[in-house]
Amino acid sequence: MSFIKAQNLTRRYDLSDPWIVRKLTGQPQRLLTAVNDVSFSVEKGTTYGLVGESGSGKSTIAKMAVGLLKPSAGSIRLDGYDLNLEGQSREDNQAMRRRIQMVFQSPYASLNPRWKVGDILAEPIRSFELIQGSPNINKRVNELLEQVGLSRSDANKYPHEFSGGQRQRISIARALSSQPEVIICDEPTSALDVSVQAQVLNLLMALQKEFSLTYLFITHDLAVVSSVANRIGVLNKGALVEEGTVKELFENPKQDYTRMLIESAPKML
Amino acid sequence: MKQPLLEVKNITVEFNTRHGPLKAVDDLSISVHAGEILGLVGESGAGKSMMGAAIIGLIEPPGHLSAGEIWFKGQRIDQHPEALRGREISMIFQDPLLSLNPLRRIGDQLVETILAHKDISHAEAIEQAKISLEEVGIDPERLNAFPHTFSGGMRQRVVIALALAPDPSLIIADEPTTALDVSVQAQILKLLKKLCRDRGTSIILITHDMAVISQTTDRVGVLYAGRLAEIGATKDVLKSSKHPYTQGLVASTPTINSNSTNKSLFQIPGTMPKLDAIPTGCAFHPRCTQRLDKCSDQRPPIISDKAACWLLERPDQTK
Repeated sequence: MSFIKAQNLTRRYDLSDPWIVRKLTGQPQRLLTAVNDVSFSVEKGTTYGLVGESGSGKSTIAKMAVGLLKPSAGSIRLDGYDLNLEGQSREDNQAMRRRIQMVFQSPYASLNPRWKVGDILAEPIRSFELIQGSPNINKRVNELLEQVGLSRSDANKYPHEFSGGQRQRISIARALSSQPEVIICDEPTSALDVSVQAQVLNLLMALQKEFSLTYLFITHDLAVVSSVANRIGVLNKGALVEEGTVKELFENPKQDYTRMLIESAPKML
Repeated sequence: MKQPLLEVKNITVEFNTRHGPLKAVDDLSISVHAGEILGLVGESGAGKSMMGAAIIGLIEPPGHLSAGEIWFKGQRIDQHPEALRGREISMIFQDPLLSLNPLRRIGDQLVETILAHKDISHAEAIEQAKISLEEVGIDPERLNAFPHTFSGGMRQRVVIALALAPDPSLIIADEPTTALDVSVQAQILKLLKKLCRDRGTSIILITHDMAVISQTTDRVGVLYAGRLAEIGATKDVLKSSKHPYTQGLVASTPTINSNSTNKSLFQIPGTMPKLDAIPTGCAFHPRCTQRLDKCSDQRPPIISDKAACWLLERPDQTK
């Protein structure tokens, strides 16, 4: 059974002027459809890549998947559960949220600069009440740091003491701390240098094997997505134009848009 | 051999700090021939943008050129770079929104640039501005439009038109396509390459993207920690890299390959050193898998015009 299932997912943004201005000037409402009728599904333990250019709706889908945005129509379900339905108990939603985590694009903006790394990693554990007692939490924090290739002593440092790649490792450790089943990676390596990007991508792939994680991997970089994803969906202006396995998509693209994307990606000699 | 258009000889850019001077560029030499596209590639902090700034004389204080010479068309220019800036050497920056004046129509900005460098009438300058716009694929009717009405790719086209307007011999393009989408990036690189080939203008293309280098440049210099690690024809540097850093950089660049899924990528261990902690000897030696004993205390020069690596001295490598 598919683990993440998006059905006719749609999100509109209201760009209209205020109601009173519209009434006085007789303007109609202006709606922008950022995501338009997108359906896809992701099997457990695999990576689904969403690629597209700026404004194609990639990040809007990510936000809807973690419940930061409500869809205007359609649904996105994780393991059969829809975070965005009305009338569900807070506890149920909370339990579901523990199973989904996110890694953001900029490791400079996504870590609180005033918190020590140890506190950043302990926050989800405390919030979801996964482990009781400080000594046990500290033990778990040390374990997490080691899992992402940092050392125990790093728990007492602040984020500014780390390089971009190391900060992204902290973000990944934080995502792992609630023992999730799904991680939404929104451009996790586009702020990093190539040699560091390779380290972070390898880490993500190793962790996927270890914890049988499911990734929704959002990127604009076709080369990156071809090396990490099992299936890829191509987004253009909010619509899913083509979908398939990496092999199908790159060897035999059916849509002109996909072909154009592949052709314009710079290639190595 | 013909005299190069631009010769940068052993330049060092230093920043004075409380803890002593930091070298952002350290004893670096490159040359650019007429009509050539030279790439400078490196990771953040490698000193590639600082090289561009040094050539055009735009290093921000407290940084300064502390050693070396820059020669352009047989003339030493590092004392008075402003004499050539814009006219002979122009620059294209990463963010087109920051390099255009948001309060002035693009036509005015083009005309101003043309009039600053050429002795022609205002009406002639307007005509020339229209031609420049047409060359970069923008409707000349939009001469009176403001920068914010253009998309990112269109703005970068305007910036290219501005850079080319005074007919420079050299353009320094510092990450010109990093802020753009791939499809637009391909168009802009193609346009820049075509216009420069038509006019015989040389380009120094500064980027972190090995794939862009591979598709655009004739020669490439790889920078690491402010030093030149390797230089040569793009094909040689990418396909038969001599320096272990270049080899690692090429191997760790993901490529579009439908058979590579879920295979781990090659990774260089560690990260680029900070400027206040550059290792002795070869700056790359702590991360190098092929290091020799002397790498940790003797800094390698550029050996046989290829790479700054002691491995090239070994008889089995130099054959």
